[in-house]
Order: sequence, then structure tokens, then C-alpha cells
Amino acid sequence: MSRPESRPDRPAVTDLERRYARWTALFYPADYRRERGSELVDTYLSLAEPGRRRPSPADIADLAAGGLRRHLRTAPGVTAGFRLAGLLALTTAAAFASAWAVLEVMAPMKFWSRYTGPFMSLGMAAWAVWLLAAVVHLVAPGRWYRRAAVIAVLVTAAVVPAGMLTGLFRPPLIVLVPQLVLGIVALGADAGRRWWVRLAPLAAAASTVPVTVVTEARLDFYGDYYLPAVEALPAVGVTLLIGATLLALGFAARHDLRGAWALLFLLTPIGMLTLNPLGAMLDSGPGRPQVPVWSSMAAAAMLVAVVGPVLLTLALAAQGRRSTGGRPLPTHCPTCGAPSNSA
Amino acid sequence: MVLSTSAVAIFRHTFAADILSRVETPLREPTFLILTALAGEPMHGYGLIAEVARLSDGRISLRPGTLYGALDRLVDAGLVSVDHEEIVDGRLRRYYRLTEPGGDLLVAETERMRRNVEAATTRLRAIKAAPRLSGGLA
Repeated sequence: MSRPESRPDRPAVTDLERRYARWTALFYPADYRRERGSELVDTYLSLAEPGRRRPSPADIADLAAGGLRRHLRTAPGVTAGFRLAGLLALTTAAAFASAWAVLEVMAPMKFWSRYTGPFMSLGMAAWAVWLLAAVVHLVAPGRWYRRAAVIAVLVTAAVVPAGMLTGLFRPPLIVLVPQLVLGIVALGADAGRRWWVRLAPLAAAASTVPVTVVTEARLDFYGDYYLPAVEALPAVGVTLLIGATLLALGFAARHDLRGAWALLFLLTPIGMLTLNPLGAMLDSGPGRPQVPVWSSMAAAAMLVAVVGPVLLTLALAAQGRRSTGGRPLPTHCPTCGAPSNSA
Repeated sequence: MVLSTSAVAIFRHTFAADILSRVETPLREPTFLILTALAGEPMHGYGLIAEVARLSDGRISLRPGTLYGALDRLVDAGLVSVDHEEIVDGRLRRYYRLTEPGGDLLVAETERMRRNVEAATTRLRAIKAAPRLSGGLA
């Protein structure tokens, strides 16, 4: 942003104005800043109480949130990619919820002496809410679905502290963490008015039930989460990676970047689904154990939690610098700010 | 009556499908109040924030980042457009106005809410007229 303080017909730029301009430059895409930066700073200055010299933390948070929203809107295909990633994540999360719910019900029937209630663990609450979210996605998409998905994410996150408080059995972190991350991406699911697309998560959940029952019967039935999780999660993660990559290539052939953005949004949940093999790769030395040690799993999770969002942020930042946002950009005089081309 | 019904029908068949696909309805309260504020006269960002706070009796206090995010959506949906610009203290100040589709959507939303208010008012009057039911609700 320019600093026209030397002009005699323009008041001196104050510290506060300069600071708002810096924060705006930090958070907003370059093209949007050129178009709206001056206007945005003017509004913040109009709202600032007399004597203020620095932007308040609330203003900085507002600038950060507004800038992020603008980045998401500016880059072509980001919003559509987020919705596509959300739909794929919800479909995967609903299928897992269905499979784990079957396990929750069948385990106490088979291993009745090990469990005291009708379900195996506290995880049943999370799976029930995710299946409910899949139903809401079909019958009431939009606002109601987002509310249901937020509740499902919160219930999933609450399973661990609830287990600690009550002392009841809960699913392992290797199951809960991928579900939580899939759930966060699933918040973006928005299939619009096409009912057959909205049906996908529920259909995936329903078709998982017989597959789970048959598979578990053939394998002499698992008595807890860990073994099926170690086998199923990486397989689903790789399937999701291949599927998302094929979608990205298919859309890219039509000069549509939504698939590529969807793949970037899905990288973190895909990484979390493959924590077990990633953790095993981090285990060092000969005689590598089949089950990675806790520290290797934690390191793998940290790596995935950092690399996925960083790649996405870098892609958004690069796109923000390249994009012109599709709008005519009025150019303003660098010294007085007067528009030379009306919007 | 017939004229207004026809106007609503024409709106629904022409603009509504396109607009509603980009703006979620029923409108959120801040969006409704932004459109209401602009129904009076063109306003700039600070004026809009102050007017929305006044219309909501101080309940809704928009921040600039939130306001301009909403304005971007409304401009993209064709409900709001830039009226004019001016330079104040060397900074650009843009005034926004309600477009015709924006006015139509505001009318449709107001009508929807008016019907809800009427329905609730009628029910509440019926409850007052029948003390037995009123006691049952208490």
C-alpha cells in the first residue's frame, strides 16, 4: 500500500493507519488489497476510538478471518474444491462410522464377558452422530447439515476426555484422530440441490454394513478396534488418495482446478489415515516392530498436521499473488488514492 | 393483490433461482439488516456498520472484515452494487446501493417474515381469548 504522506492535500499518515495497512497487506490477496485496501483501512480508522495507536487484537483477528475468506474466494476452484473435498470426507467418515458402529454392536454379542453394556465403547456416541449428520446432509443440506457436522466433530473430540473422566473403554486415537480430521474437512460438504450427490455419504454408510459384517465373520471376528483399524485405515487412505488424484486429473483436463484443491484439502486426513505405516517408517533400527512405538506415531501425526496445512497455505498464497480475482481492478493514483477506473 | 402475486411469481421464475443458488435463504440476520440499511440510501462501510447496529438496537456489531465479506457475496450475487466513490482524507470511500433484484429479495424475505409474525400473532390472540389454554401454557 502506498504512503502518500508527502502530499500537501492529504493529511499525514498516522501510525494507526500504517499499521492497519500492514496487517491488511499481510492477510489479504494482492489484487483485493489494491481494490479494497484503502477502503478497508478507512473503515477500521472510522471505527477506532480517539487516541488508539495500534489495531486491537479483535481487529487483527477480523482482518485475518476476512483475508482467509478472501483467499478462499479469490483462487479459482478453491470453494468448489473445498465442497468436493468435504463431500468425499463426509462419505468416508460416514462409511467409517457405519463400520465402527457394527463393530460396537457385534463385539459385546460375541465377547459378552468382556463388555458390560450393549456397545463396546464410548465411540458409539460419535458414530451415531456421524450417521445422523449423513442423514441431515441428505434431507436438510446447508445450514442444518453444518450444525450437525459441527456437533459430530465436537462429540468425536469429546470421546477422549469422556473416557478419561468415566474410565470407560474408548476407541484408540488411531481411529479417533482420522475421524476428527475427516470431520473438519467434511464441514465443507455442500452438494447443493442434487439429491443423488447428497445421498452419497448415506449410501456409503449403508453399503458398508453388510461388507463389515461379512468381513468380520470370515476373519473370525475382531474383539477390539486396533487390528481392523491397522488394516482398514491405510487401505481407505490410499484409496482416497488415488480417487482424489484421478478426480483432480479429470477436472484439470477440463481446465477446472477444483479437483486439485480438493486433493490439497484431503492431504491431511489422508495422512492421518495412514499414520500406522508412516509411524512404522519413522521407527529406526533393525528389528522394526510391526506396531510402531507411540513416539513414532505422535511424530508422524505432527508431521502430517504441519505438512498438509502448510502445503495448502502455500498454494493459497501463490494463487492469491497470481490471481486477478476475475473482477475489473480499478487502479488508484499511488499518491492521492483517486480512482482512475471506476469499479 | 393479483399484481403483487404475479410480481412475486415472475421474480421467482426469473431472478430467484439464480440468486438463491448463491445466497442462502432464509437470509441470516446480518445480511437481512445490510440489505435493509441499503434500502434507505447508498452507504459506505462505516455508515453501514453504524446503521446495522442502530437497526438491531446494538445487538449486531459488524466488523469491517465481516462486512466486506458479506458485501462481496452480495455484489457477486447482484443484490448490491457500487453506487459511487469519493476520496476522504486521501482514502477511498465506496458507497453501496441496493439493486433491483436485491430489493425484490428483501421484499420476499420481509413478506415471509410478516406471514410468520401474523401466524404467531393469531395463535397468541387465540390463546389470550381462551384462558384455559393460556393457563396450560404457563
